[in-house]
Amino acid sequence: MATSIHLDTVRKEFRTLGNTHVAVDDLSLDIPEGSFTTFVGPSGCGKTTTLRMLAGLETPTSGTVSFGDEDVTDLPPQERNVSMVFQSIALYPHMSVRENIGYGLKIHGVPKAERDERIDEAAEVLQIEAQLEKMPAELSGGQQQRVALGGAFVQDPDVLLLDEPMSDLDAKLKSDLRVEIQRLHQELDTTVVYVTHDQTEAMTMSDQVVLLRDGELAQVDPPKQLFDYPNSEYVAQFIGMPSTNVVDCAVEHRDGETVLVGPGLTLSLPAGVDVPTDGRVRLGIRPQYLDVGSAGACRLSVDVEVVETLGTESVVHGRLEDGTPFDVVSDAVDDAVAGDRLDVSFDLADAFVFGEDGETILFGSERASERSSSPAGAGGVTP
Amino acid sequence: MATSAGRGLVSHDTQKRLQRIAVYLTALLISVFTIIPVYVMVVIAIQSPATTFAGGRVNLLPTEPSLRNFLVLLGSTDTVRYFINSLVVTLGSTVLSTTIAVAAGYGLTRFDFTGKSLAARAVLFSYMFSPIVLAIPLYVVFSTLGLLNSHFALTLALTAISAPFCIWLMWQYFQTVPIALEESAWVRGASRWRTVRDVVLPVARPGYISAAIFAFAVAWNDFTMARVVMSRDEMYTITVGASLFLDRVSIGWGETMAVSLLISIPPFLIALFLQRYLLQGFSVGGLE
Repeated sequence: MATSIHLDTVRKEFRTLGNTHVAVDDLSLDIPEGSFTTFVGPSGCGKTTTLRMLAGLETPTSGTVSFGDEDVTDLPPQERNVSMVFQSIALYPHMSVRENIGYGLKIHGVPKAERDERIDEAAEVLQIEAQLEKMPAELSGGQQQRVALGGAFVQDPDVLLLDEPMSDLDAKLKSDLRVEIQRLHQELDTTVVYVTHDQTEAMTMSDQVVLLRDGELAQVDPPKQLFDYPNSEYVAQFIGMPSTNVVDCAVEHRDGETVLVGPGLTLSLPAGVDVPTDGRVRLGIRPQYLDVGSAGACRLSVDVEVVETLGTESVVHGRLEDGTPFDVVSDAVDDAVAGDRLDVSFDLADAFVFGEDGETILFGSERASERSSSPAGAGGVTP
Repeated sequence: MATSAGRGLVSHDTQKRLQRIAVYLTALLISVFTIIPVYVMVVIAIQSPATTFAGGRVNLLPTEPSLRNFLVLLGSTDTVRYFINSLVVTLGSTVLSTTIAVAAGYGLTRFDFTGKSLAARAVLFSYMFSPIVLAIPLYVVFSTLGLLNSHFALTLALTAISAPFCIWLMWQYFQTVPIALEESAWVRGASRWRTVRDVVLPVARPGYISAAIFAFAVAWNDFTMARVVMSRDEMYTITVGASLFLDRVSIGWGETMAVSLLISIPPFLIALFLQRYLLQGFSVGGLE
């Protein structure tokens, strides 16, 4: 039975040699039952520590963890109905694939006949029937990962925890397994919590993405929401490839209008936008939302440094006139070479404005949807 | 020879050839000092002294193998008793030392406790002691406890010599066993003990077999401790017993070599059957 998970002001400290390191700080979060939730963030952001607290392998320094209504904060891993797949895969080298998958069932005293039946079923789902009698060392990396997955879900856990299960696999296998894991999630009645540093995995697989920063919650939202309405510069830069371009701008007032002035850029803000007067802000624009040419309302010039061709489109890495790095993704820049100056433009509707503290002040798209008087998708964050 | 100073003067092929010659020469030299004594031992053991010394010189090409020397050992010495004594204390000490090593190695790598690094350093430090340094104090201890001339005391004494290195070996070995294996078992519902039995011990097998072989070698080849702890003839181990033969008029070269051959058999068998594990275990310990 899938269960919901609730974290309430969870804090985890590690003490080593008199130093206290706060791995997770004041984390409160609800994970709906049966959902696929991904923890994402750079290494050291506390995502694996959080997962280990869900597994019972770490105990929070303070705060509570509950599964449904049950407080499991201090329960050892043995007493939680969770399964976990480890980054290191962690197959038992002295047991056959069959024994590896069935080990948890054996611990729980499931009779051999039923055990074998369930192992065979799992193996069929994961397409490793032919490997069942082999030893883990005889398998490829992808097969080993499938065995680890099999061992985790054959126990029918309430919560399935996956700790960077694909970080050691090559790109092709990753995309295969991504589909596999999502299919499993659909078939199983279980809450999946997935940890990764790879934002592609987070964006493609999840119902809900939890982005962490230095042990603190940066934002929780469905992937699309996270992409369209990042609540801070950090989120905007972490989610999306290549990263969101960020340009320093001064705020000026001209003829009753608020104007952002950046390197080679002047941008009038619509009335009613509350930006700090005479302060500085940072303008964010995703490389995908830039058009080559001057069709958009705001224009910029980029000095091209490197062009990466991806097939249908190209990524141009360049700099603005003051040296700010600036990337453009477009299908119209095939002939650009290093040293060129590229004119690009964008609409305010596609931009973000961040305050000096990094918080998002304005989502361009929100402004745009207001203008077209469509209330859809209002971000959950008040500008 | 082909050092950095010689680079350019000696061609790459020549360097390789010189290297190979050096390796073979070293191997040959070592063989001379190990194989020849073993050969001499075997030949003298399996010939009657009459054959060995026929014609007023030592004959080292066996012509008439005989069991005469072994029969003399069985008939007129306590060799069998010595051998059994050795087996008893060696087995006891091997099991004890390995058990301590597995427990200590697991504890040192899996639990945090105050004084952990001190404990680890103390283990290595205690390994520095030569057995003779411990012998007299241990004699005093066993004498006070009334344990002299017992298999139990000698087992403890031998464990005192082998345990530090075994602990160090297992400590190193357990560092290579990923803790995720155990965590994965816990999450699946296995208790700590069950995990040790099902996962930790099987995975650590090359490690503890190496430790056991080492403990075996220390105990089987021991002379000092047995000499100190045992003072009654019927309690001697085979090494002490064999050394006494040299003092006896009735026992000659032939019998002495025969008993030496007997002493060599258990280590030989162990090396033969367990060398795979030995190499695995020691390569992890950084002793390759």
